[in-house]
Parts: sequence; C-alpha cells; structure tokens
Amino acid sequence: MSFEIPIGPQHPALKEPISLRMTVEGEVITGVDIRLGYNHRGVEKVAEEKNWTQNIYLTERICGICSHSHATCFVQGVEKLMELAPPKRGLYIRYLVSELERIHSHLLWLGVAGHEAGFDSFFMYTWRDREIVMDLLEMISGNRVHYAINTIGGVRRDLDEGQRAKILEGVATLRKRSEYYFRIGANEPSFVARIAGVGMLSKEQAIALCATGPVAKASGVGRDVRKEDPYAVYDELDFAVCTADTCDVLGRVVVRVMELLESYKMIEQMVRNLPAGDIACKAPRKAKPGETVSRYEAPRGENIHYIKSNGSDKPERLKVRAPTLGNYPATVEMLRGCFIADIPLIFAAIDPCICCAERAVTLVDARNGAEAIVRMSELRRRALERAPKAPLKGNAVWPL
Amino acid sequence: MLNKLTRWSRIKSPWILHLNSGACNACDIEIVAALTPRFDVERFGVLLRATPRHADVIIASGPVTRQMRDRIIRIYEQTPDPKFVIAVGACAMSGCVYRGAYNIMGGIDQVIPVNMYVPGCPARPDAIVDGVVKLLGKL
Amino acid sequence: MSDIDIVESLKRDLGAKALELTNPALRRIFLKVAPADLVGAVTLLRDRYDCAFLSTITGVDAGDAFEILYHFASPVTTIHVRTAVPKNDPRVPSICPAIPGAVLYEREIQEMFGLVVEGIPDPRRLMLPDDWPAGVYPLRKDWKHVRPEEVIPGGES
Repeated sequence: MSFEIPIGPQHPALKEPISLRMTVEGEVITGVDIRLGYNHRGVEKVAEEKNWTQNIYLTERICGICSHSHATCFVQGVEKLMELAPPKRGLYIRYLVSELERIHSHLLWLGVAGHEAGFDSFFMYTWRDREIVMDLLEMISGNRVHYAINTIGGVRRDLDEGQRAKILEGVATLRKRSEYYFRIGANEPSFVARIAGVGMLSKEQAIALCATGPVAKASGVGRDVRKEDPYAVYDELDFAVCTADTCDVLGRVVVRVMELLESYKMIEQMVRNLPAGDIACKAPRKAKPGETVSRYEAPRGENIHYIKSNGSDKPERLKVRAPTLGNYPATVEMLRGCFIADIPLIFAAIDPCICCAERAVTLVDARNGAEAIVRMSELRRRALERAPKAPLKGNAVWPL
Repeated sequence: MLNKLTRWSRIKSPWILHLNSGACNACDIEIVAALTPRFDVERFGVLLRATPRHADVIIASGPVTRQMRDRIIRIYEQTPDPKFVIAVGACAMSGCVYRGAYNIMGGIDQVIPVNMYVPGCPARPDAIVDGVVKLLGKL
Repeated sequence: MSDIDIVESLKRDLGAKALELTNPALRRIFLKVAPADLVGAVTLLRDRYDCAFLSTITGVDAGDAFEILYHFASPVTTIHVRTAVPKNDPRVPSICPAIPGAVLYEREIQEMFGLVVEGIPDPRRLMLPDDWPAGVYPLRKDWKHVRPEEVIPGGES
C-alpha cells in the first residue's frame, strides 16, 4: 500500500485543520493521538480587552455553525452578572433563533454524513433544504450566518406578523421534506448497513469520558441542558429528550433526526405563543463584580461559559468550552479497534465543529514503527471501495 | 496555439483549492454552499479539487494562525503556476475580530500574495461567485 | 434534592475541608477546598452526588494566586469546586484517576498558565503551536502580546 504526503485540505464539505496520528496494525487502529491547535486563535485573551458589547460579536465568531450558541451563552451570563431581567418577547425571539440554528446545523450535518457514507445526492438535498432555514434567518436578522440578534438585555430586531407566518410556512415545508428523508433510511439498507456498528462507545465509557450532546445521547445518556438547567423559555415548552441505545454512528444519526423533529415542534410553539411587549431592556455599561457560569445546549452538546467580572466594562476572565472539545476523549476511544477506512465517518459522526477532521492522518505501523501519512480523501475512497464487499450487517434496523 | 488553448481552458474552467487557515468555518460553509444547487458555481466550470497540484485558484479563508503559517506557504509553493489567490471573508483580509490575538498573524496577504479580496463576515455565496467570475474576467 | 439540601449534605460530608460553600444562584453551588483535598472532594462528588460529568476546568489569574475551578454537572444542579495555588509554587494534583475525561482540560491549564498538574497522564501541549517559546504563558495577566509590524502589500507599511 502506498501513501501520499498530504498537504492541503481535501474535501469540499467544510473541514478545519486537525491532525490525527494513529497507530495501526494492518487495517485496525490500535491507538489514536489528536493534534489540536491549528485553529487556536486566542479568543480568551482578546476578550479581556473588549467591552461587554464588543464581546458579543467576538464570541459569535468562535464558530460559524453554532455562532448564536456562543453569543447567547455569553449574553445569558452577562445578564446574570448585571442582574437584568430581559422581557419575555425578547427571550422568545432569541430562543426561536436558537432552534432555527439547531435545525440548520443538523441538516448541514446530515448532508456531511451522507457525503461521508457515499450518498452524495442526500448531501445536495439536505443543503438545498438548509437554504430555507437560511432565508428565514436572513429575514429575521439580516444575515445568513452570524446573526448578531443578541444584545445585552434582549434582542435587536422584532418579528412582525408577516415574518411569523413565513416561519410557520417554512417549518411546515421542512417537516414534510424531513419526513421524506427519514423514510429514505428505511428504504436504503446499504446506507444503514454502512453506518451501523461503526464507532462504538458504550454507556459507561460515555459517562466516564464526559461525552456530551448527540454523541452521549446515542449511547443512552439522556442529559440535555434544556431539561436539567432550563434557561429562559425552555421550561415553558413541551419537548422530549431524544436518545438511542445503539451506541454507534447509526444511533447518532437517529438522535439528530429526532432532534430535528422536536425542534420543529418547539418553533411552532414559540411562534404561536409569542408574548407581546418590549424586545430588550436597558443594560448598564459596567457589570458588578462577580462570577457566573452559563450553560447552553448547542447542536453539538453542552456549551459552557465562565465569566468573571471586576466591576469594569471589560471581563476579567472569559472561559469558553465548546462541546466538540469535550467529545475528544470519547472520539479517541471510539476510533480504537476500528478500521482505517472508517475514520472519516466516525469523525464526521461526532459533528466536529471547532476542530474538524481534516488534513492528514498519520499512520504509525505498530509492528515496525514506520510512519506514513494518508489523506482523508484516500481513506474515503478506500472505504467506498470496501463497502460493497464488506459483510452487510443485515440485521441493522432503521428505527424511524 | 497551445498557449491560447490552455489560457482559454483556465478561464473557462478553473479548478479550485479550498484552504482553511484557522477560520470559524462560516466562510467555509458559504464556499461549500456555493456548490449546492441554489448558487451552483459548477455551472461556471469551477470544480473543487482536493490537491494543490491540480488547482488554478486557491480560495483561502480565515486568519492565519501560527501553526498554519508554514503549511500555507508550502501549499502555495506546491500549486503550479500560474496561480491566483482569492481571500474570502474579513478574516482573510485583515484578521477581522481576531486582530491583536497572540496566535494570529493577520490576513492571508501577510503570508502569500493575494489577487482578489471578497469582503463579508461571512461573505455571501453570491459574492464569492462574483469574485471568482471577476477574477476570471481579468485573466 | 434541592440546592439547600445538597449544601447541607456537603457541609456534613466535608466538614472542615470545605473552606467556603456558597449557593449564589439557582443550580449553582460553589465549593472551595485546599489543593491537597481536591481529589478526595472530586471522588466524593462523583460517587455520592452524581457528578460524574465534568464540564471543564477554568484557570483564573487572581493577582497573587491562581484559582482553578472544576465545573461539574449533575442532573439536578451544578457544583463548581475551586482551589487556589500560590504563584511561586503552582502545583495541583491531577483528578484524572477519578475523572478520566479531565486530561485535555488539565493540559490546557498547564500550557496557558504554567501550572504543574502532578500525575497528569499526558503532559504535552494541547493548543499552542509547536514553535511557541517555552516558559511563555499567554493567559497570565502580566503577559501582553506585542503585535509584529504588518506589511501592506503594494503600499507603505
């Protein structure tokens, strides 16, 4: 087998630089080491020099897919420090955008998962549907990504009747389309067989390694910040926490698909019950000294911000832990014992955000220590070649 | 004669390499969204390639982190001439909100020469397509 | 159990080891212990208070000491364990024996603040680049980044 030197990103669906070093024996992975840092921008240090409002825009740009999660988590914490009580209408609009973001993120991920499993037309369909959500977000906030709808004390733009009707219409279309895709799974046994049994993470391992979000939910750990630590409007909404117990990539797909359906329900409730009133309350320039911890359920898991204030208009310390970092120890565990060809799929299944699977994978042969670097596209090609000949897990069942 | 043919094929069908040098991913999703049926940049003959050896145009996004600096230079050197670089997004132009961070060098033009800047945070897919087309017009 | 019950129960279990125990907001309990009692407190929280989930570890440069916060979440509340180490001897024991998922966070506070986590299974750098000079800790308050001169292509610098 000959490997190529990688230098360069490869595949069209967004990826960010990260490098994996795997110890292999034949085709099976025995050890994994992840090298982070390609994407480290020093945001925590920059945040200490910007004031509270400027920091909303900084935290938004920590990630492009879940930008609203970081901005909202930050603003929630600052509002607690400043002891503000934002009006209900503002909160409803803010979390409406949160659920729309969850939908766009899961649709994006479904497309990427389809692409990794060799199902490119699925990728095109889901990204086309994602455009409906992007249009709604643009209508509400003015931008497709980085909505900047938050301000300290509420939101910046209001929703009128016409926009509310459009949102309900868009969600109805999406729901019909999503239900069609979910039935595809039942009719495409090769897709299901490709992803079943891959990337196993048992429930005990998920708990010990502090996995979060759909990765943990697919292993039966049903923890969701919206239920355990309900912030703002989530204790008034009716929704369920989705779990699966197959502990593999199929479980993660199923959990995200069920979360999509729950989000549609929540958006309809929020739009129908939107209370009247102001959308923001006035916020002071400086925050009282103190500290606060703010948690939020981002599409990828639990997002936590720790903010410490010293009474001035700039934070003393801002600490951000994005959900994908929390899932790395679990990812290392999942990759152990798997085939090299499954690496792109498993890595995509954790829905990596801040650091994505990318660039190169370094393979260290356990028998003689020889190192070789392989590109992800090469791995994907080998996986797709191997799939028709691999034994199908014929008893894998699409549970939806 | 051969020169004219190669020049025509380069204009009519530039192959693109997408380079992410430490960005937040927003510009990258918009670049990929440019491939999807709604904006469909493939109708211009643009194809996304995986390796720098095949690329005519490098589309770069993100502020340059220290870790990525040498790799970007290496990729640029591996791409055969003539090559063009498009810097997409405010981060690639100047560093956007991260200016002054300890791990950031600044925009892409601090590391490799850039031919076209597409502003926006993130740059809309229409703007990216517009940038590519304008660059082709200058060739 | 409500927050008040948990606070009472922690007082009973830890006794004098709990240097400070506050409940400033709903579902936020802050507990301060000395570095030597850290692993014992964490094991107690994991076994008796259903806090097996560690959200993250935060380091704070508080002037003359470093404060390290361990954020745990249980299904009914969140408990944040704080410990302080002096700047001239910044050593803290590793909690990886009790919580295996803590290793990445401990690597991060080591490289960002210059803390020494004793017994850490993997002491390498996590996020700083390979050519970052040793001994320079970015998140300390007394370190300021000096921006290099920017080159404006085609114009004056």
